[in-house]
Formats: sequence, C-alpha cells, structure tokens
Amino acid sequence: MSMFRMTAAALAAALLLAGCSRGPEKTPAELEVVQAVAEQFSRRRNAPPPPAELTRALLDKQTQAYIEVTIENRDAKAYLTRALERRDSHPGTIEVWRTQDNVSIALRQGMVIATRGLGGGLLSAQVPTAEGAGGPVRGGARRYTVRADGNSQRRLNMACSLHDLGPEPVEIVEITHPARRLQERCEGAGGVVVNDYWVDSRPGRNQVWQSRQWAGPETGYLRIRQLRL
Amino acid sequence: MTPIKTHMRKARVPAALLCLAAVPGLAQIPDITRAVPDAAPGSEEAAPRLKPLPPPSLTFYGSPGLIDMPSAEMLPDGQYAVTYSWFGGTSRYNITFQALPWLSASFRYNGIQDLGLFGFDTYYDRGFDVRARLWRERRWLPEVTMGLQDFAGTGVYAAEYFVATKRFEAAALGWGRAPGRLKVSAGLGWGRLGSHGAIGSIGSRPSFVGGSTGGTLSTDQWFRGDVAPFAGLEWQPDARWSLKAEYSSDAYVTETQDSDVFERKSSLNYGVEYQYSDRLRLGAYYLYGSEIGVTAQIQLNPKHPPTLMAVPAPHPIIPRSQWATEDAHWRQDWASSAPKSRKIRDLAAEALKADGLVLEAVTLTGTTAELRYRNNRYRSQSQAAGRAARALAQTMPPSVETFRLVPVRRGIGLAAIEIRRSDLEALEFDPEAADALFAAAGVQDAGALPADALFSGELYPAFATSISPYTQPAYFDPEKPFRIDAGLDFAASYAPAPGWRIAGAIRQRLAGNVKNGRASNSVLPHVRTDQVEYAQYGTTLENLYVSRLWKPGRNLYARATAGLFESMYGGISGEVLWKPVNSRIGFGLEANYVVQRDFDQRFSFRDYRVLTGHASAYYELDRGYQLQLDAGRYLAGDYGGTFSLNREFDNGFLVGAFFTLTNVSAEDFGEGSFDKGFRFRIPVDWLLGKPSRSGFGLTIRPTQRDGGQRVAVPDRLYGPVREAHRKSLEDQRARFWE
Repeated sequence: MSMFRMTAAALAAALLLAGCSRGPEKTPAELEVVQAVAEQFSRRRNAPPPPAELTRALLDKQTQAYIEVTIENRDAKAYLTRALERRDSHPGTIEVWRTQDNVSIALRQGMVIATRGLGGGLLSAQVPTAEGAGGPVRGGARRYTVRADGNSQRRLNMACSLHDLGPEPVEIVEITHPARRLQERCEGAGGVVVNDYWVDSRPGRNQVWQSRQWAGPETGYLRIRQLRL
Repeated sequence: MTPIKTHMRKARVPAALLCLAAVPGLAQIPDITRAVPDAAPGSEEAAPRLKPLPPPSLTFYGSPGLIDMPSAEMLPDGQYAVTYSWFGGTSRYNITFQALPWLSASFRYNGIQDLGLFGFDTYYDRGFDVRARLWRERRWLPEVTMGLQDFAGTGVYAAEYFVATKRFEAAALGWGRAPGRLKVSAGLGWGRLGSHGAIGSIGSRPSFVGGSTGGTLSTDQWFRGDVAPFAGLEWQPDARWSLKAEYSSDAYVTETQDSDVFERKSSLNYGVEYQYSDRLRLGAYYLYGSEIGVTAQIQLNPKHPPTLMAVPAPHPIIPRSQWATEDAHWRQDWASSAPKSRKIRDLAAEALKADGLVLEAVTLTGTTAELRYRNNRYRSQSQAAGRAARALAQTMPPSVETFRLVPVRRGIGLAAIEIRRSDLEALEFDPEAADALFAAAGVQDAGALPADALFSGELYPAFATSISPYTQPAYFDPEKPFRIDAGLDFAASYAPAPGWRIAGAIRQRLAGNVKNGRASNSVLPHVRTDQVEYAQYGTTLENLYVSRLWKPGRNLYARATAGLFESMYGGISGEVLWKPVNSRIGFGLEANYVVQRDFDQRFSFRDYRVLTGHASAYYELDRGYQLQLDAGRYLAGDYGGTFSLNREFDNGFLVGAFFTLTNVSAEDFGEGSFDKGFRFRIPVDWLLGKPSRSGFGLTIRPTQRDGGQRVAVPDRLYGPVREAHRKSLEDQRARFWE
C-alpha cells in the first residue's frame, strides 16, 4: 500500500512540476500525456455556457452568413460561418464553412465533399453536380474517400438513384422557404446511405435550405440548415 | 451585435477511462460494432462501416479458442491482445500479436503458486507461442491451424497441436429463429495437450526439466510422444454473450501429480463470457471439476485507435486568381529587396507556428521558395508537408509558383518535396485530392543548404528546457516479476548553429524498487546486468553530450557524438547512413568507443572500455514491415549479428521482435542462451487523438544478460530519415490535405 501511496505522491508532484517545456524542441511524451489529461479536467470544469436561443431577430442582427450543422451520432451542434467561396475545374460552387474551434466542412452546391477537424473525416467526395442546380442532379456512381486504418484512406464506391419527392416547404427559424425534397439512395461498400435535400423550388433559385447527408462511417449523418444567407 | 458562438458543442460529454489508464475521449457506453440486421435505410446502422466485428474470444493461453484448449480461429490482421487468466493457483499474462493474416505470435509470463518444484516456491516462467493457419474455412471445409506452444522457453507449457474449427449460424441449424452462432472445434495435441486420454504415440519425447537454461528451439520434441484428441464448442446467442464447453486433453501432470497445486477431477470445463466493450471481454469458468477460473481479455487494433485523431481544420487555400487580380501583384521585384524578403520570411514563420511547425530557413527567388522547417507536432511527414504548403500558399507573393518543402531534423534536410502552387489551388477539393496531389508532387534528395538561405532569427542559437516525468521498469525477477522506478527528468539543450547540439538531462527518482532487484551472476563483463547497482543512486546525470549532424553528400547522412550517451556509457560515436529518397533500401555504419560509467552516474568512469560498432542494412517491406540486419562487435566484446523485424503501422504503432547471435556460448550467456526480445511503441497521438510525435516504447527481453548488447546513442539517423522518404510519404498521402 505504501508503494501505491508513494507512486501517487510522485505522480502528484510530477503533475505540479510538469507543464514545463520551453524552446523550439519536441515536448517529451510523458509531459504531453500529463498536459492532455490536465486539459481534459479543466475542460470538464469549465464547460462552455449553453448557446443563446436562436431567433430570427438575433439572426437578422448578424452581418455574416450562417449554417447550423448537427452531427447526429454524437448529438453535437454548431453554427458555422463561411470561410471561402470558390470554384474549380469541376462544376458547382464550393463553400467552406468553419467553426471558431477549427472544425470545417466543405460543400459543393450544398453537398458535403469534405470534413476537417472531426476525426475519421471525409477526405474528399465525388458528387453529381451541374451548373445552376442545387443538390444532386442525377443518380449513378458516387465516391467517398474517408480516412481509415490509421493514417491511410479508404474508398467507398456507391451506386445512387435520385428521387424527387415533390414540394415540401421547410421552416428555418420562423421563415418558411418553398422547397422540393430530393432524395438520393446509395448502395455499395456494404451498406445503404440515404441523403435528403430540401432545394428552393422558386425559378432561378438553387439554394439548398436544409439537408441530411452522410459524411463517412465515423461522422455519420449531418443535418445542415441554412440559417442566414 | 451579438455574434453567434460558433463552437462545436457536445450535448453529452463522453466521460472516459477504460483499460488504458487516463485516455480522454473514450466512449463511456460500451459499443459493439456488429452490424445490426434489418437496419432501416438512412440510419447509421445501415450505412457502410469500417470498424471490424468483435474478434474471436481467447483462451487461458491468450490465443483464440475455448477455455484451456485452442481453436483454429485467427485474430484480425495487426490485432494486439493482452490477456490475464487465473485458475487453481495458475496465473498467466499473455500478449498475442497477429503478425500476418495467417500467423500469430504470443509471449507469456506465468506463475504457478505453491508448485514447490525446481527450487522455487512459486514457479515463474516465460514462453513463446506461434500459430499458423493452414487453410481458411470454406463451404464444407473447417478452418485448420497448427500451433506450437511454449516452443522455445524452458517449456513448462510445451505442446503442439493441429485444430479444426467450423462455424454455424444458428438459423442454418434448423433452430427456427434462434439467433446466434455455434463454433465447433476439435484437434489433436502433443506434449501437454497429449497428456490425457492418449490414443497413440509418435516417437519419444524428452520430459520437461524445470530450471534449465532454456532459450533453444525444442525441435527434438515437436510432435513427438503421446497424442490425444481434444474438442469443444462455443455458442454465441448474441453479440455479447458466449457459452463455452470443452474436453481437455491436458492432464496437468506437473501441477497435480508431481506437485499438489490443484486436483484434476474431470476433463470437462465450462465457461461463460461477456463482451463488455469493443476492447474488453470478461469470462468466468469452472475447470477440471474442482476449480473456478477467470479471464480478462483486452484486444486492441492499431488501425482502430481508442480516440479518433482530430487535427484542427486547416485554413483553405485561397486561389491567387481571387486576390491577385492586378498585373502589379505578380511582379517579381520584391525578391531583390532584402527587407521585403525578411518580411515574407517572418510572415511564413508566423503561419507555420500556428500549425506547430518551426521555420528554419527560406530561400526565395522571384518564382520559387525553398522552405526548411522543423516538424515537432505531426507524426506524419505528409501532414506536416501539407500544412507547410498551406502556410506558403498563404504568405508567398503571387509570383512564387514552385514550393520546395524540406523537413529538417537536427539541422539536416531529410528530403525535398516539390509542389506547384497551381496544383495546390486546383486540387484541394478534387474528388481524388490526395492521390492527384501526390502524383503531381516530386520527392528528391534535400541537397545542400543554399548559400543565400534566410535563417530564422529565433533559432540559432536557441535554448530549450523541459521537465517531465519518467518511468523505468525492470522485468522478470523470479522474486518480483515487475519493478519500476519513477521520477522527473530535467532536460536542457542548446543549439549554437544548424546541426550542432549540446544536450543534457538530470534524473531525479521519486519512488521505485528497481534497486531491490537481483545482483548480476553473469560471467561476461557486466555490460548490462548491473542495473541494480546503477539503481542505487536517485539523483543522476542521465546524459550530457555534444553532437553534430550533417549531410556529407547526395543520399548520405552523418552524425558525430561525444559525451555521456546514456546512464551506463559515455564516449565517442560516429555514424554514416546511405539512404536514397526514393529507395526502400538503406545502409549504415556506426563505430563507438565507449567507457562504462560509474554506478553513481556522474562524471566518473569504471575500468571497462570497448570499441563497438556495426554495419547495418535496412529494408522496407510491404504492410509496414521493416527489416534490419546488423553485424559487428557488441558491448561485451562479442562478435555477431542481430536480426530485427518491426511492423510499424502508418499511425506510428509499432510491434517488433529481434534476436542476436554472437560468439558467446549459450553456457556463458546464461539463462536464455542468446539475446532476444520484442518491442512495441504506442504513439501518444494514437492514445489521445491529437497530433503528437511522441510514443511510449518498451523493449522487453525475457532475460537481460550481457551478450549481444549495444550502446544507446541519442539521435541515431535511420528512423527520422526514413519517415520523410518516399515510401512513408506515399503511404500517408491521405494526410496531406488534413
């Protein structure tokens, strides 16, 4: 028992003294673990305050665009701001959305093509886009590249069919947008994925107002809402 | 205006801790990764999964199987299983590693209480097992595996067997709708597994003699002597529970007839097991008609970390077409202005620092930038290169089109990764981003440092200090199998110029019992067995040395070190490594002249000096296997060679084994006959799920003797150099964009 107590004392002393590493060299392993554990404790003690009640009045006061993303399997929710809007050689506009604590998600025409900072993320994805259309425009092959097996990647090839489920307006924080619901059903890689998109149905508009999309085996399904344009 | 907080917020904080001490972020609720039948489309259960199914359950010997008897099953490739089992005064600690899909190896440390034989009260022993699958299960054919148990130690558990296993789904057996699965195994055993109910005999088998030197392969007894059948079944009604029953062919002669450890009344054993979480399984058993037994089985797979690695998201690359819209933005005249170049260097250093990288130097021309950087954060050099490339894309003037990224360690450039900036801009959101970028990048020898390189203003000279806890274990003393010292290391280093380093560490023990260990009985010079003498001192100078690393030419790396290298040796050391960037082969030469340090580990020496050195060949095989062959002179003055094979996973998890044969005779060597052991390293980032280059490494030898020992010199060249070369960059290319 005294051995145990001595070890405990040694560990406590180490904890007090540790946290000390200066200069442009690598931090020792033991120290990194001690720091990580300490961080975990302090994070639990200082949990962030609950989010403000979301109202249209609050949203109207903002100057930036916002989306709300919910990760179903871990019951996590965040509001993201737009970090970049760009195009590349593939059809569709790319938007990168980001949280303050460095989680980001990239959308091409409203479809998830990458997540970063979540662990086991979606590295890249091939999505069926066309200029001037929101959400998917056809069925066929869809390819997800996800992080797997330590530091490498795994490709998940799926075959999708696209269904138009007709008009289905969506209400997002006190505003109802006219929308059509598009549903993608994909099979392959040993599973079935169903992605839903609520796309603005007014002529000339192609905004995806709301969606529920799969973002890889670890992240699972994301629910995304466009709070403010 | 009240800005909306954009933190990722978790409603339920997953509280943590399981088998691996303080590991933050482990899910509290035990999850079972078995596919749910008839899951609704659109639910997470129906989506593709990468997590494996729960692996086979383990025996008291730590291999897949029933209770005391093995089955033919194999664990998933790379699986790492730690088992503790106890019954009737017999406890076994087993470590099993599935080295290849069809081959596994185990190491065991066992204690038999009150055996009262061979001059020990409680008899401790170590042993190795190896199992090879002969063929897989097919339509009607069962899976068949051959096993050698305790094949090289003193052989208290020596046995050989062939075993067949067939799996049946309960529904297919006509049990109506009953879910679950039945596994039936049967086999033939020799040695221990042929000692009860023998049906025949092949040749003769020498009997077990405890307390001998051991360590040699017991080929003369494999598959000899009596042979007996054994069998058993395992029924899994659902994903968590299983019921086991077996007929044992082990008579436990040593325990029940030669001694009186327990009474063997029956050959039938029964058990029930529960899968508590994906990694932990618990079992309770009734054995041999008289004894209660328990097991705890922990299984890890290096490919499936307890916490998923989450790296803060990088800032996306903003294409120059969006911000360099005027012709004037694209001019190159900034390159001829020293203040402007310095300003750009400082901006780049700032951007790198945000990602945990340290700028060593930049060389700028109007269209190219060579960045030399130090990576202290990311395990994967691909990821570090990706972050460095983003930092350059963020800070370089638009006219710079070619990036040459040179990771640097201790002043030497390890490799040069050449990337076009236009590719970075074009490919970030490509469906095949990682493969496309690696195909467009070039990997070359780092080359010499350009004469006009702009060094960081903060690095040379630079001073670094750290205080960190340490632990130092000692294993397998028959009186106390595990001892450990713990305390604090106070380390400091000074880098006066690139490649030069002066470093030292003072060690203060706070608690420990290594000092109570066994004194050495070695007849060789005591080059490693005086550990207990060294452990008598609690405040020591762990090391103090000056080293220089440099690159003497293309594909060549060199090191010279002088001082106190480790707790037991000091002296001078030199090393040269030849390793082409795009090759899997490397060759090295090392020579050391060392003097043994005094037990108090300060500045004095003992009267033992030796010239030791090796020629080494390195080869990188597929699946992360790394082969190393060394030949040369060892610390005790003995000549010989070392064979080592490591398997390093992409995430830094390492498992390996080695043996050394020298001209020291088995008799002079003592217990174990020759030096051998295994090593593993668990990366900190694998445990914590956040980037880190550190790992907890352990090298375990069944017996620590004096033959075939090497001096530990800091900053050996091969490891860091290999990590930055093509094979490793390519294997980890997926990390580039993360």
